[in-house]
Amino acid sequence: MTTESDSHLGEAVAARIERRWATLSIVVVGVLVGMAIFIGIDHATMPQGHVETADPKTLHLTGEFIESNLGSAMEADGSVTVRAIGQQYSFTPQCIVVPSETPVTLRATSADAVHGLLIEGTNINTMLVPGYVSELPVRFKAPGEHAMPCQEFCGIGHQGMWAKVKVVDKTAFLRMMASRRRLSCVD
Amino acid sequence: MSEQKLFTLRNPWFGAAVGITGGIAVLSFLAGLIWLPLAQPDLKISGIWDAICSAAGVPRAAPQSSVQQPDFKTSSVVLTSEMLTHPDQVSIGRGATLAQRCAICHGPEGVSDANSPNLAGQFAAVTYKELNDFKAGARVNVVMSPFAATMSNQDMLDIAAYYAYLPRVPSNKIDAELAAPRIVVTGAPMRNIPPCGACHGDIDTKAGSPWLGGQSAVYIKAQLEAFASGSRHNDISQQMRNIARQMTGEEIDQVARYYAAQP
Ligand code: HEC
Ligand code: HEC
Ligand SMILES: [Cu+2]
Repeated sequence: MTTESDSHLGEAVAARIERRWATLSIVVVGVLVGMAIFIGIDHATMPQGHVETADPKTLHLTGEFIESNLGSAMEADGSVTVRAIGQQYSFTPQCIVVPSETPVTLRATSADAVHGLLIEGTNINTMLVPGYVSELPVRFKAPGEHAMPCQEFCGIGHQGMWAKVKVVDKTAFLRMMASRRRLSCVD
Repeated sequence: MSEQKLFTLRNPWFGAAVGITGGIAVLSFLAGLIWLPLAQPDLKISGIWDAICSAAGVPRAAPQSSVQQPDFKTSSVVLTSEMLTHPDQVSIGRGATLAQRCAICHGPEGVSDANSPNLAGQFAAVTYKELNDFKAGARVNVVMSPFAATMSNQDMLDIAAYYAYLPRVPSNKIDAELAAPRIVVTGAPMRNIPPCGACHGDIDTKAGSPWLGGQSAVYIKAQLEAFASGSRHNDISQQMRNIARQMTGEEIDQVARYYAAQP
C-alpha cells in the first residue's frame, strides 16, 4: 500500500533523526572530554601526574619512608616536603606540622591496606595505595589545626585512624625547624 | 537497500562515524597525554615523550633526596600475615630443646610466674620478631637481650614454632567477671586509638601483634609506658607507640588489669 514517494519520505525522516542523534552523542562525548580538560587545567581535581612505586613490606628498612625520615623537611628551594605513611591503624607521624603560605609537597604511601588521606577544611583528599607513592602539591592559606582522618575503610580499627595537621606561621615554622632535620608535632 | 555494503568508506554514514570517532579519540589522546601533563606546573615534564609516559602511568624513580637516618636501632623484620603459620614437627621439636634455657624465666610450659612475659601460645611471628629485635638491639632489656644475642635465624624460627604450639595455659589470675574497659572495647577514635582487639587477636590480628591475655599486669603496664616514652621503639613505623602515647595513665592501669585477667 505504500507508494514510492511514501517510502522515500520515510527514508529521509529516518536519516534526519539518525543524524540528529549522532550529533547529540558526539556533543555529549565532546562535553565530557571538555569537562575533563577544564577540570585538569583549572586544578579542580588534581590527579597525580606520574606513578612511583614503593614496596609496602619494606618501607621501614630503607628509602625515604623509614621512621626517622618521616615528617616535614625543608628543601633547598624554600619549599617543604612532608613524608607520611598510612598503616593499620594510624598515620606516622601522628601530628604533621607545616608552614602557611608555603609550597608543600605531600608524599605518602601505605604499609598495608588501602587507606585514605583527607585533610578536613581543604581540598586535599587522596588514596594511599600499597605499592604506590601518592604525591600532592599543596599550600595552606592560614595557620590553624585540621583533622586528618583515614577516609577509606581499611579494617576493623579504621574508625580510630586519625592524624592531625597543624598549620603554623612561616616564621614560627622556621624557628621550630632550625634545630631539626625532620619536624612533626608528635609529643 | 539491504544489498548495499555497510562497512565501506563509500557508505557516507560509515565514513563519517569512523572519522568522527577517530577524530575525538585522537584529540582526547593529545589532550590527556600531552596537553594536560604539560599544563601541570609541578610535574616538571621534560618533553612530549616524558609527558606521554607520565600520563600513561610508566613508573618513575623517586626524586633524589637525602634520607635522615635514625639515631636508634629500628626493627628490620619483614612481617606478612601468612608468615610462620604452618609449623613443621621437626622445627617444634628443635624448639623444645632450645627453649629449655628459657624456662627459668618464661616457665617450663611457657607460662611465667614471675613478671617475664608468657610465651605459650604466642603467635609464632611475634616470638620470632621479638627475638630478632632483641638480637639486633632494636628492643633492649638487660635481662633478656643476652639470651637472643647468640641465636641463629633457625633457632629463632624453631623456638617461635615451639611456643606457638604450646597451649595457652590459663593463669590462676583469670577473672571472667572483670568488665572490659572502654578503651579495650571501643578504643578512643578521636585520639587515634582503635580497639586493642582490632590488632591483638581478640577481634582481628595484625601481623606481629602479640596475644595479651594472661600477661602479667606489671609487664603490660611497663611495655605501654615504654612505648609511650619511646624507650621501646621496635614496633614498625610506630604502630604501637602511636597508640600508647595517647593513652592516659588510668587507661594503662585499666588495660593492664583487664588483660592480665583474660585467658
Ligand atoms: C633471665 C630471665 C630470662 C631468660 C632466661 C629468658 N628471658 Fe625472655 N624475657 C625476659 C624478660 C624479663 C622479658 C621482658 C623484657 C622487657 O620487659 O622488655 C623477656 C621477653 C622475651 C620475649 C618477648 C615477649 C613479648 O611478648 O614481647 C621473648 C620472645 C622472649 N623473652 C624469649 C626468650 C627465649 C626464647 C629465651 C630462651 C632462649 C628467653 N626468652 C630467656 C627474661 C628472660
Ligand atoms: C594497630 C594495631 C594495634 C592496636 C590497635 C593496638 N596494638 Fe598493641 N601492639 C601492636 C603491635 C604490632 C605490637 C608489637 C610491636 C612490636 O614489638 O613489633 C603491639 C604491642 C603491644 C604490647 C607489648 C606486648 C608484648 O608482649 O611485647 C602491649 C602491652 C600492647 N600492644 C597493648 C595494647 C593495648 C592495651 C591496646 C589498646 C589500647 C593496643 N595494644 C592496641 C599493635 C596494636
Ligand atoms: Cu586507614
